[in-house]
Amino acid sequence: MKRKIIRVGSSKGVLLPREVTKAMNWDFGAEIELTIDEEKRDVLLKTLKVSVPDEYEIDHLRQIEETMNDYADLLGGTDD
Amino acid sequence: MTESQIRQIKFLSYVNWLVTEKFNGDQGIRDLNALKTVVSLPGNGTLSCVLGERLSNRKDLYAQLGWFVYYAIEGEPFNSKNRTTVLLVLLWVLKYYRLEFDADEIAGFIKSLDPLKHGNSDISLWFSSHCS
Repeated sequence: MKRKIIRVGSSKGVLLPREVTKAMNWDFGAEIELTIDEEKRDVLLKTLKVSVPDEYEIDHLRQIEETMNDYADLLGGTDD
Repeated sequence: MTESQIRQIKFLSYVNWLVTEKFNGDQGIRDLNALKTVVSLPGNGTLSCVLGERLSNRKDLYAQLGWFVYYAIEGEPFNSKNRTTVLLVLLWVLKYYRLEFDADEIAGFIKSLDPLKHGNSDISLWFSSHCS
């Protein structure tokens, strides 16, 4: 897929096609990681992965989210 | 602050972030000192139940829940959704400890709780008589 470098103020930019942002689930404000391979002269865009610190059990955090979804109706009106 | 208390603060902040994302609230901590109070129980105790520590008896659990509910509602540590955060943590803790409870009754209690009229001991007592 070809794209042109365009001017964005005093910087240079590339517009991402809708099919790319949709496939990658990238919305406005999403943070992405940009990696440059100088030898190959490639640039790679990746979804920024946020890792959970080691001291947290991911199952615990997931259970909280599941509980929130299970009781969404109840929780939704609590601070009204 | 102990490492455990710092983890508890981060955990409660995560829960608040979750509910503000889901129910459109203002994100962030309003008062860090109020949040520190929530996880600092008397006698160098900590709010260990929220991280899933198995407590040796229910009396300790009710005492922790009374403290947590009172100071989280009275101190309003977050910018919004303080009571929703409290309720979600409670629902998870009660499920984790496999206690029988009526979620609607607990939600009603949290919604109507007036910290000027009820202290942490009253709240502990309420849990001991409504969750078994």
